[in-house]
Amino acid sequence: MGNHRPHSKDSVRVVVTGIGMATPLGVGKETFGARLFAGESAISGIKSFPTDNLPSHLGAEVTDFSPRDFISLKNLRRMDRISQLTTAAARLALDDAGLAVNSGNRDRIGILLGTAFGATDVTVHLTETLIKEGPALVNPIMVPNTVLNAAAGHASIELGFRGVNVTVTHFAVSAETALAYAVAEIRRGAADFILAGGADIISPFYYEALTRFYALSPTDGKTEACRPFDRNRNGMVAGEGCGILCLESLEGARARGRNPYCEITGLGLGSSPTPPTQWPTDPAGIKRTIRRALDNAGIGPEDIHAVSAAANGGRVLDAVEAAAYADIFGDVKANAKDGPAVTSLKGALGESFSGGGIRACALAMSLERGALPPTVGLAEPIGPLAFVRGETKTLPIDYALLAGISFGGTYVYLVFSRYHGEETKP
Amino acid sequence: MHKKIRVVVTGMGTINAIANNIPEFVRALAAGSCGIREIDLFDTAGYRCRNGGQIRDFLPHRFIPAEFPLKRMSRADLLAFAATLEALRDAGLYPLSEAMKEDMGVAIGGGSGGLLEGESFYGDLLQKGSGKAHFSRLSSVYCASSTDRIAAYLGLLGPKITLMTACSSGATVLGYARDLIRNGQAAIMLAGGTEPMCRITYSSFNALKSLDPDVCRPFDRNRGGLSLGEAAAIMVLEPLEAALARGARIYGEILGYGVTCDAHHMTSPDEQASGAIRSMEAALQDSGLGPEDIDYINAHGTATSVNDAMETRAIKEVFGRRSYSVPVSSTKSMTAHTLGASGALEGIVSLLALTHGFMPPTIHYRDPDPSCDLDYITEGARPATLRAVLSNSFAFGGNNTTVIFGKYPNGSDDHG
Repeated sequence: MGNHRPHSKDSVRVVVTGIGMATPLGVGKETFGARLFAGESAISGIKSFPTDNLPSHLGAEVTDFSPRDFISLKNLRRMDRISQLTTAAARLALDDAGLAVNSGNRDRIGILLGTAFGATDVTVHLTETLIKEGPALVNPIMVPNTVLNAAAGHASIELGFRGVNVTVTHFAVSAETALAYAVAEIRRGAADFILAGGADIISPFYYEALTRFYALSPTDGKTEACRPFDRNRNGMVAGEGCGILCLESLEGARARGRNPYCEITGLGLGSSPTPPTQWPTDPAGIKRTIRRALDNAGIGPEDIHAVSAAANGGRVLDAVEAAAYADIFGDVKANAKDGPAVTSLKGALGESFSGGGIRACALAMSLERGALPPTVGLAEPIGPLAFVRGETKTLPIDYALLAGISFGGTYVYLVFSRYHGEETKP
Repeated sequence: MHKKIRVVVTGMGTINAIANNIPEFVRALAAGSCGIREIDLFDTAGYRCRNGGQIRDFLPHRFIPAEFPLKRMSRADLLAFAATLEALRDAGLYPLSEAMKEDMGVAIGGGSGGLLEGESFYGDLLQKGSGKAHFSRLSSVYCASSTDRIAAYLGLLGPKITLMTACSSGATVLGYARDLIRNGQAAIMLAGGTEPMCRITYSSFNALKSLDPDVCRPFDRNRGGLSLGEAAAIMVLEPLEAALARGARIYGEILGYGVTCDAHHMTSPDEQASGAIRSMEAALQDSGLGPEDIDYINAHGTATSVNDAMETRAIKEVFGRRSYSVPVSSTKSMTAHTLGASGALEGIVSLLALTHGFMPPTIHYRDPDPSCDLDYITEGARPATLRAVLSNSFAFGGNNTTVIFGKYPNGSDDHG
């Protein structure tokens, strides 16, 4: 299929040298990592607004976040919440990569940010003002924040990087697409460093809209919970936050003496015709996209040791994703083999649509540690896959997949590879 | 290193304030037509301005065959799909073969998306309460809706990309779509932008005092801001070899692109022009060309006081002494500023200029401004044999994108 070219040996190798995140499980990799690998969940009753009149009440909110710790007062005044979370995560990623932005490198540092829905809080407020009060009362300071590229713009102003700056907005694959674009930009030499990931926020209007699209648990009126890949799953739980990787070339990282978390060696982008807003029901498109990513990395399905899945507790998504993996990796039970360890972090973090940024940070940590966090909320698995349940599974991970699947039938897969150090691999 | 795949444009489609299709667009650009006048898509009472580059009498069923249901599609979706069908027919690819669908993708630069429909939903919500509002109407509010609908209707299996760099979205997607083909993720990409007029966007520029109450006058001393417009502009991108093999007509080649950020201010360009200078330099470097190879510049040229002076300064910095001999025009003077679509629309202008051998004018120009002293083609369209065209798009958030288009065959394609 297609005219794929395997990732050739002479091309630029892209590595992850920094991670930064502002998430419901914590801000910064110490708190986030400790809670994630302990198998904790950040899902609880929504605290920032009342949900009494709604059919759902749970969410994973970023609660322990002080913008002043990350953002100057001058810029903070103009920032909305998504821009604050993004700027904080970007700053943490730069710090973690040991990278100080200065006049010598700022034009070679960029950002590729995914956001599915952007600042729904600001857009709704502006629309309401326009309708109720008329155009004269629209606040010009808030105008740029209604545009989906605002968070990346604010982060660049606060942190001073002036290179490639692009926002991707394609629903639930926004962050994964941003990561794929960023890897391609490092490969072609368009930037030395790219901060890549995703950000989305929960707002009252957004939360209500999700309930009206019958997306949130409990879609069957039973107990509300997030249960990825579980027989009794009944919808997703809304999440929010921002996760950002610092990407650079392996050559650059070596020159700086940085030890990468991992390498990103394969990209696959694809789709299948699916009615808008519907989740795909046929696994063919997912399988085709995974093969494209594996080809791009020059490996086969048998090389994959771990999968960070897209499953969010929804009836359709989890079933189609599990079916795709059973086909690609084989029936684990029937063949008495292990197959890759599969986990969905959305059981702990909820579904934030551009949560691929946070999951990418977690996967980078997984490859470095040789450990995969459990799927919180998974009691009765739906398919014959090696799901990680209960507690973190320790295993050496040479190659892992980061899954991006969106309603509307859009897929992005990335291959994360263990960085073996200079002496072991050419 | 392997040789880079050359990517060419073999089909184009557009609907905008001065044309309903490509042949009309060629004539309107050559004639210096103005599409900016009083809008009637919504009530402009209470705004500083009543004008815009509105598409008049847009009847979707005249552009889109009955087999495609139009229900729940936003104005942005409809415009984009209509332009896509024109581009595919223009490329000689419609109807698509099953084999072709396998490796064909869509990349759309977003703007206001379905906000026109979104604001009408929100009006209902405020008036009737959430129990009676139809939330399903929100299904086309986001920009990715246009991408999803195009791909689903055409049955495509390739990548779907939706980018949002505000007023440079339509340019940025052209670069990334080229690279998706180069990197083997797709064999053919449909790439472009779509932008509908809507109250939310209109009121936003109104609040920023960016709108000229009359018509925009790019590079004029008395320029008073931009005119807002709407458009869809879609191109068919494929490898040069594939285009030659099937005997396709080639409008030109996407030679290079550059994306930078000002990191200066959310809505005002950096007057030092660093971001604009660097995006032009990055595009030149990516294309392997020097300033001496560029024959015409399609400017961002919004007609805001700051942009036009900044862009002129940037061109002078990049082109040096040659800047006075490279003609520059802002076709926003005709089409108005079509925001998320503008980069793709002006990409089409650039390719038509290459193909048809003329440089479109900057209309409405009257009084010279000492801070804008380049050759802005103010006397009307000018015939010219062009080899390469540079197109600038700058945006909120400090985003800058430059794309360079080249004629095919060029001087080194002897046997082409």
